[in-house]
Amino acid sequence: MTDRAVIIRARDVTRRYKLGEEIVWALQGVSLDIFEGEYLSIMGPSGSGKSTFFNMIGALDIPTAGSIEFMGEDLFRLPEDKQAWIRCNQIGYIFQTYNLVMVMTALENVALPMILKGDTRRDANAKAGAILERVGLGHRVDHLPSQLSGGQMQRVAIARALANSPSVILADEPTGNLDSKTGEEIIALLKSLQTDDRVTVITATHDVKMLSVSDRIAWIRDGRLERLEARANVQIDMGSMTH
Amino acid sequence: MEKIGRQVRLPLATAMQISLQGIRIRLGRALVTLSGVVLGIAFLMSVITGEFINAAVKQEREVRNQTTLMSTFVTSEVGAVAGKTLSVAVFGALSAPEQALLAGLAAEHATLRAYGYSGTGVTAVPAGRLGEGSALLLVLGDNPAPGIALGGLMAGMVQPVALDARLRTYPDTPPGRLEHFGIQSAEMLAKAREAERQQGFRTRWIVIISLLVTVIGIANALLMSVTERFKEIGTMKCLGALSGFIRRLFLIESAVIGFVGSFVGLLVGLAFPLLAYGVTFGFPAVFSALDGKRLALSALLCLTAGTALSILAAIYPANFAARMVPASALRSNV
Ligand SMILES: Nc1ncnc2c1ncn2[C@@H]1O[C@H](COP(=O)(O)OP(=O)(O)OP(=O)(O)O)[C@@H](O)[C@H]1O
Ligand SMILES: [Mg+2]
Repeated sequence: MTDRAVIIRARDVTRRYKLGEEIVWALQGVSLDIFEGEYLSIMGPSGSGKSTFFNMIGALDIPTAGSIEFMGEDLFRLPEDKQAWIRCNQIGYIFQTYNLVMVMTALENVALPMILKGDTRRDANAKAGAILERVGLGHRVDHLPSQLSGGQMQRVAIARALANSPSVILADEPTGNLDSKTGEEIIALLKSLQTDDRVTVITATHDVKMLSVSDRIAWIRDGRLERLEARANVQIDMGSMTH
Repeated sequence: MEKIGRQVRLPLATAMQISLQGIRIRLGRALVTLSGVVLGIAFLMSVITGEFINAAVKQEREVRNQTTLMSTFVTSEVGAVAGKTLSVAVFGALSAPEQALLAGLAAEHATLRAYGYSGTGVTAVPAGRLGEGSALLLVLGDNPAPGIALGGLMAGMVQPVALDARLRTYPDTPPGRLEHFGIQSAEMLAKAREAERQQGFRTRWIVIISLLVTVIGIANALLMSVTERFKEIGTMKCLGALSGFIRRLFLIESAVIGFVGSFVGLLVGLAFPLLAYGVTFGFPAVFSALDGKRLALSALLCLTAGTALSILAAIYPANFAARMVPASALRSNV
């Protein structure tokens, strides 16, 4: 496992927030190598800095100190258009609050990353339709997010994350707003992306159900990496999880 | 491993499409912003159109003023003219206000005895018998008529009062009162011109202020819509949108709203003065007075000004949205 290629390399990543006079150290020097094709879960209590770290490795926020290498390049030294290219082509984001564009239909939401990549509307819609079919929402393509259930919205978000066949899926508490059964379905879907599509899946989560599918678990506490656990030997029966 | 590429800069058409879709779906909000533009441009256009029509009907208006001035003189001498006998001596050609005055007197059922003039309800009489039984003598026309004696014209009047519309001099001393009426002094003309100048000055100020208010209104509305869309902006950036693309979305949105708003505004701003002046001076007079080419030019000016000002107002909000760090844009819970 250690001989696998590193896709994301975090070095002493530090993030400080200023709230008026008060200074919050959300991350205090986290170093972590993430391998291509692995399923990594970042666990830790609320406020420990999971989302902050997630934003850093996803090129969504700038660290106060430290560096992130993505595909061998220093992420925060890259020009804006290269960062945008990474966000568009290499990373698929999934959030606890779905973050769908509320004024667009499911299909348009999934097609958006392809449009931003430069695909024609036609190609994008065709591909988006196929992906929605795959996540089990073929019959909901023209619904607005407000007309979908939480689980369905999260499926749209997963479909959107898959739009440009990314090499990394970043999921910040993807099951946080879902009931237990729907959460399991979403976890199974994420796991299948790793096993079938060789996508690197990184989740930040409280959800213990996530433990059994993870290859490794990074425990974060008070902005520090507390320990790193390998779970390479755990066997999961996918059939029993999806019913 | 793949090499890191550069995100493509999307064609304007794509930005346009996404922007228009946003407007269509948030139509209510767009209409609020739009109404601000409509009001501002309608005001600008109505001021311009009003000025044009005003200039065109200026002559007509002066005739009216002059006529009113003269008929006020007449009524202040004799009271209501209905049933009164008035005599009229005309030398040379009548001016437009003089014609209007006579037509007005006839319409109000004054009995007119006239020398050198004929019309419906007017009795033509020789110069020597003009004054018989009349309450007032009006001397009109552009001919100075130097040899005419007032004594002859006023003989036999019930009240020997003569009103002369021009500054004529007579060889004899009038047998009663002689006054000149309907003549504006140089002083009065200068005063009128000064008032007009100040009016123009005031109008320009009001236009400038109303446009300023429009710009601030649009900027404010757009800032609000940027704030409402923080999350959407963050999401777009997550999905690979460049800052320039975000900026463009807002600029296009504002330009479209500005253009449509200006168009509606200029139609409204055209219709109002046309209606107002049309009711006062008659529609044929107003329409024939309009200069199509100048009007088209000012319509173009309004359209350009409205669109340009809307884009100007969008620059700050659009830059604000474009510069947001994705993580902080996503955090917002508006
Ligand atoms: N934008 C911000 N401004 C100020 N403080 C922040 C900001 N974002 C995070 N923090 C602080 O940084 C710390 C870590 O926050 P973070 O969101 O990373 O925690 P988390 O592990 O994701 O928690 P949770 O499990 O509740 O999502 C917290 O103390 C939080 O208050
Ligand atoms: Mg979090």
